[in-house]
Amino acid sequence: MQNIDETVKKTGFGKKYENTTKLNTHYRRIRRIKLGISYLLLTAICIYSIFPIYYIFLTSLSPLANLTSTNFSTLLPFHDYYSFNNYYGIIFKNPFPLWLENTLILTTTSTLIGVGLSITTGIAFSRYRIPGKRALLYMLLVLSMFPFTIMVIPFYFMFSQLHLLDTYIGLIIPYSAGAVIFSSWLIKNYVDNLPRDYEEAATLDGYSRTGALFRVLVPMAKPAILLAVVLAFMGPYTDYALAGQFITSTKLYTMAIGMYYISQGTITVNYGVYSAFAILMGIPIFILFFFFQKYIVAGFSIATYK
Amino acid sequence: MVEVEKQMDSANKVKPKSDAIYLLFLLPVFVVLGFLDFYPIAWTINISLTNFSEAHFFTYSYVGLTNFYNVLTSPTLTTVIMNNIVFAGSSILLMAGLGFGVALLITQPGIRGKTVFRSLILVPWAFPAFITILIWKNLLDQHFGAVNQVLSLLFHVSPNWTGSVPLAMISVILVNLWLSLAYYTFVYTASLQSIPQELYDAAQMDGYGTLSRVRNIVIPLLSRQIAFITIFGFIFAWSNFYIPYLLTSGEPGISTQILITYSYTEAFSYLSYGVAAVYSIISVLILLVMVIIVNHYSKMMSILY
Repeated sequence: MQNIDETVKKTGFGKKYENTTKLNTHYRRIRRIKLGISYLLLTAICIYSIFPIYYIFLTSLSPLANLTSTNFSTLLPFHDYYSFNNYYGIIFKNPFPLWLENTLILTTTSTLIGVGLSITTGIAFSRYRIPGKRALLYMLLVLSMFPFTIMVIPFYFMFSQLHLLDTYIGLIIPYSAGAVIFSSWLIKNYVDNLPRDYEEAATLDGYSRTGALFRVLVPMAKPAILLAVVLAFMGPYTDYALAGQFITSTKLYTMAIGMYYISQGTITVNYGVYSAFAILMGIPIFILFFFFQKYIVAGFSIATYK
Repeated sequence: MVEVEKQMDSANKVKPKSDAIYLLFLLPVFVVLGFLDFYPIAWTINISLTNFSEAHFFTYSYVGLTNFYNVLTSPTLTTVIMNNIVFAGSSILLMAGLGFGVALLITQPGIRGKTVFRSLILVPWAFPAFITILIWKNLLDQHFGAVNQVLSLLFHVSPNWTGSVPLAMISVILVNLWLSLAYYTFVYTASLQSIPQELYDAAQMDGYGTLSRVRNIVIPLLSRQIAFITIFGFIFAWSNFYIPYLLTSGEPGISTQILITYSYTEAFSYLSYGVAAVYSIISVLILLVMVIIVNHYSKMMSILY
């Protein structure tokens, strides 16, 4: 380096250095402008992303009278008329605890069944030499293209023949199956990338092959399994298409149906109540997502490509 | 010792050609799939050949390919397929394009507060989709919606977002963009971060600007991933039921009906299940043909091995 510097000095290239510093400030200015534009764009995207949530949060706090006369000032955050009446009404004047209980029964049962099946399927697909594996995997992929909503119509008649309409089981079966395809896929891809050394060591320690696989791989595949849990939970929690058609008796209403029932039941939609309900339903998912953010992102990038 | 040797022996010996016994592990899944996928698919195909409807609820009979003939010759089908192509095509172009752009912005060197930006972009994803779609319906309301409140204050216009012909489809696409942007941003961020830093450094040494860096490094390196994400995004958008159904219910007219929502409308509003089944079958067939063609050229199924 010194040699070069000396040569540069000797041959009188100092002027070029000056030019470089000028160029540097020029580039720095360009970079600063570029960063400024990037911040502006990112801020705009963030506003686009959070505005609706911000809006329903405000709406959920305002009494009905102010809603029909929405104007620009109601979009600003500071008001003196905030009240928790909407929340109070939902929780204490409606069978909200019952809806919550139903939703929790449905979601936990179908998540447990769905993720349990996905773990065995995923690990089996990844580690065992199964005859016709490629064909079976192709089949899973093709089946994942069939939209769930296409199945709603046949389910309806099938389940009415089996007398499963308007029951927990009638919802738990399709919910857990809905999670299985994608989750098996996800766990299979994740386990494919795990080293085989540990399970081989466990076999030497005296575990049976299957025992070794499950004892070793289940803890190691934790990120994929947690993502599968989140996805399996989200499906039934947010479902309206299926539950809305299947459930008719009020004592089996889920939160999603209950929300429709109390906000859309009358001629005009009660947006205050609706917004409050949306916030109530959104918060658990919001917490879940931020808690699992790392796994969700990692899991999705594994799921989309290896 | 003898025990261990025996076990090692058996571990070495027992390497069967195939593990047919382990098909048992897959049995529950395929029983469930048979019950919940194969049977409904067979049922749908079967019902598409009958006149099953409200009028023939208990006494339906086979009518051959009449339903297919009626659907294929009706102008509705062309409109709905065109809507579906417009919806899925422009959605995926916008979502993947904007997601890629935002990911590039976030992974830029020198940007601060990446976590804050990323968390804020994730917000739409954290709320159940059917709730946020209905919130957008409220926001886009012609008279009381917040969007028009702002627009009428600033520009003195109040367009009928969900009720007029080109705007309704645009609203549906924009709401879809809002819902999916987080996913595409995160996936692309993950793939951009997988590019080794040395390549960027080398590009900087060579005096590459942002655009030439994207064109010469990012796109060639990520082309396979970009193609994969885009194709799967299209498949998902093709049958994205909730957004058109909840936001516009396919209205005005049938201008925002896609195949899957139209099938649902035929079944539950017009109660003609045979025709509904035909629309379902057409939707899936188009998707399958598309996937086979794309796979033929891009070998995207190679992810399987």
